[in-house]
Amino acid sequence: MTTQPTNSSERVPILDASDIVRARGVARQVAGRIGFGLADQTRLATAVSELARNVVQYGEDGFCEIVDASDHNEMRLGILVEDHGSGIDNIDKAMKDGYTTGGGLGAGLPGTRRLMDEFVIESEPGLTRISIALVRKRS
Amino acid sequence: MTTNSLAPIVTLLQQHRAAISSEWMTEVLRVWMRLYPGLVNEDELRRQADALLKELGKLFSEHSGEAPPDITGNSELGEIARELSSERAKKGFKPADTAQYVITLKNVLTQHLVRTLNESPTSLTLCLRAVDDVLDRLSLLTFDAFVETRERVIAQQSLSLVELSTPVILLWNNVLLLPLIGVIDTVRARQLTERLLESITKHEASVTLIDVTGVPVFDTSVARHIMKAIDAAQLLGSRIVMTGISPEGAQTLTKLGISFANVISRATLRAGLAEALQLVGRRIEFTGGVHK
Amino acid sequence: MKIPILRLGRILLSSIQVDLTDADAMQFQDDLVNKIAEIEALGIVIDITSLEVVDSFMARVINDTAGMARLLGAEVVICGVQPYVAMTLVEMGRDLIGVDCTFNLDQGLEIIKARIEMRGDARMIEGEG
Repeated sequence: MTTQPTNSSERVPILDASDIVRARGVARQVAGRIGFGLADQTRLATAVSELARNVVQYGEDGFCEIVDASDHNEMRLGILVEDHGSGIDNIDKAMKDGYTTGGGLGAGLPGTRRLMDEFVIESEPGLTRISIALVRKRS
Repeated sequence: MTTNSLAPIVTLLQQHRAAISSEWMTEVLRVWMRLYPGLVNEDELRRQADALLKELGKLFSEHSGEAPPDITGNSELGEIARELSSERAKKGFKPADTAQYVITLKNVLTQHLVRTLNESPTSLTLCLRAVDDVLDRLSLLTFDAFVETRERVIAQQSLSLVELSTPVILLWNNVLLLPLIGVIDTVRARQLTERLLESITKHEASVTLIDVTGVPVFDTSVARHIMKAIDAAQLLGSRIVMTGISPEGAQTLTKLGISFANVISRATLRAGLAEALQLVGRRIEFTGGVHK
Repeated sequence: MKIPILRLGRILLSSIQVDLTDADAMQFQDDLVNKIAEIEALGIVIDITSLEVVDSFMARVINDTAGMARLLGAEVVICGVQPYVAMTLVEMGRDLIGVDCTFNLDQGLEIIKARIEMRGDARMIEGEG
């Protein structure tokens, strides 16, 4: 991944279900501040909600870092969600529609990928990192 | 040895600035006025030329050592050149005609230097090389600025084209029309869906007509984009009537396994309108005509 | 955070006005299902105008609730899905919400009433009155 100039970042710890609401609220706020439209704000908030819920369901404890990496050409909001749970056994399977081990619709991860422009997932026992980004050319 | 080997240029730019400026502008204006009548502001150009020459003099006078002076985009000189060039780009000048500006200055300066330094060839060579070098850089800078501005203009135009090409029309109370025209790519599909959904919510449109007469090709990706728009519209509470699918379109869609279930389809926009009105409990009636 | 459920004859109305935590959502599902059974509701209308984020979990809660309501014999309409929410849901995957939708409570109520009209059991209890 290319390194981008970091303008600002906010970190939200994710320990229980109430943090899901907080994390997506912060994501929406930051996105709005950067200048993303309402549709993109909703995409970002929803994506953060999905990833944060994964942390609560499977990851024990983790955090969500929301990074404004915009420059004068483009708006870029990057989000890193990290947890320290047992990790994802089979990433390929987890990325398939309808696959779930936690009783959800199995739409979380693949759905999030479809909402975002960038999606990178790494997982091993004790550390799962998912980074996503939404990028829009400035008009 | 701290003498500035480029001192003759500095002297020239101090003592003959008015003459150089005037010769330079006469030539530039002669060409530009002919090619772009009405787009040239003579006073402003002369003012810019003076400012540019003053900065150029400063650059050479502050210079010492062997290496030619350097120009960066954020220097005063670079700033003037960029501004001038981006101004040309906005007015629709051709790149070559814009480049003419710096090239003409180079010619004028060269002529003056040759005239004043014809006694000392060593100094002349040094000065000519320095002028060459500096003005070439300036040239590149203006070209960069020109292209940048052009690109920005093009980006803006394509953006407004996208907006223009996706009107959402309120046909009747609670009835919307989305006429799709042209190629639908991902970016356009996204914008179009956003606008459609906003309009549906705003007008509480219980029926939305989507007319695809103007869509040249139906492939999986186009069909999928339209499907998404339809699904989202239905989530808001709007029913969809599709119109204008061509025989080829119908064949392709069926072969692709896309049936547009949950969607009413009518051959023409006319039939679709009748259907939509029926869904909102209205109809168009013959009233006997105006001419009796 | 308890979400109020209003009764209008044998129709239940509920408007979700705040961003729900997972626990709130489950509580709501529980409350609503019990209430349906309690009054033998014929229809329910759930207004989600204020929901700015509907992720796959919330979508499941809504679908499940609707499914449970149907099993209990009630018609279900969701109203007020925000345009960006609809767009996001559709982009995430089709069929995340499989319930009939409409713009506002008003229309939702109208649709529910029309559907109840067509049912065989609509006047059953009144008739025995």
